[in-house]
Amino acid sequence: MDIAYPVGLIVVAVAIIIGFAALVREKDDLHRILLTDLAEILALVLIALVATDLAEALILPGLVVGISELMAVSEVYIAKEGLRAPTGPPFRIEVMDSAPGILALILVAYGIVLSGFTGGAIAAVGAVFYFMCRGHAEQFELIETVSGYAWAFWIGAFFIFMFLPAYWFFAVMIAGGAILIKVMAKMSLVGTMRRGGPDV
Amino acid sequence: MFDLPTANIGGPDLFVLEFGDIVAYFSPYTAALFVFALIFTVLVIVSRPERQVDIAFGGDAYYTKVVDPDLLRFQRFMAIACGLATLGAMVTGDVFNFTLFASMVGITNIGIVAAYRNRHVLNAAFQYGIVAMLATVPLFGGAAIVLSSTGTLSMWELFTAAVTVPLIAKAFLVLGVMGEGMAPFYIAKAEITRAQGAPFILMVHVSSLLLFLRVTEIVISM
Repeated sequence: MDIAYPVGLIVVAVAIIIGFAALVREKDDLHRILLTDLAEILALVLIALVATDLAEALILPGLVVGISELMAVSEVYIAKEGLRAPTGPPFRIEVMDSAPGILALILVAYGIVLSGFTGGAIAAVGAVFYFMCRGHAEQFELIETVSGYAWAFWIGAFFIFMFLPAYWFFAVMIAGGAILIKVMAKMSLVGTMRRGGPDV
Repeated sequence: MFDLPTANIGGPDLFVLEFGDIVAYFSPYTAALFVFALIFTVLVIVSRPERQVDIAFGGDAYYTKVVDPDLLRFQRFMAIACGLATLGAMVTGDVFNFTLFASMVGITNIGIVAAYRNRHVLNAAFQYGIVAMLATVPLFGGAAIVLSSTGTLSMWELFTAAVTVPLIAKAFLVLGVMGEGMAPFYIAKAEITRAQGAPFILMVHVSSLLLFLRVTEIVISM
């Protein structure tokens, strides 16, 4: 550890003092939830300052704990305030009527070019955008089936890596394509998840 | 099997379960805490919740409040999860795992209390949730400082005399457990004696008591 760690610690300490002072001054409950989320980030920064592989491995559980606590507190807040989902007309802007087809096509095509995890994410953004604008029929079984086959292909590619390493390029292609479909299917499901209705 | 570095605090090791570097262990101290938590978890699983009784002042009349079974089911689930998290926190031999179990106890404690649909109880649960979220800063911060100053999180390494843990890390750990273990903050609000669900609310007390005993052992041994 050189000079960077103590300096980082001081910066985080100042940030913690600022954050906690803000919390003491803040009276609105919703704002306090947001401020506590900020404090959680500071805890993650404290772990990240260690800057070793172990710290990197510890960030993920820390993040999960933070998010789950945030969700729990948010649910309590919703129940406490008696809030309900709005029943008014769904959010609509002009571009959502004219553009979804072409934009989704561009994003999906670009995602396929990228392939792999990143490509899956980008292609999924396209699919999610399409579902958001055009609504969706209940095709969850189909998406899940495709996702399952993609997983099987992915595992199969790993077997090729292990037993037939000479065909590594073939396996890379299978794994890349399969993870693309898998990530895309999962994230598309996320995009259609909200309240299950066709109106997002 | 190797012995505990400081056997004079927790006692000699009885049983050791190794997951690579992470060693879960039972000493007489942690085993006692484990059995205590286990008994209360079993009690939560088998017991039928009691009804809250209100007595009309100045007469013989009394009435029991009807409790929604759905809410009780959720409360029971949360209490069992809280018991399991406490069991984990009792036996783990890894500082970071301990902090994760402690924050899981915090989350489940919010769940136990928030299952009651009363505005005042929900308000208290919300305030406690804020405290629990803030407590993760010193909790994880303490673990991170332990890691950065000693290079390890395994209690088997930290308990040896060769490794010194800075005082600030110990203070952070205790502060974090104070925030996550619910009772000290929540007992100040009288709601804890009014909220329904007798064996489930009890789990809040049991888990925080055991967490305090365990963190005391860890901090003294380090």
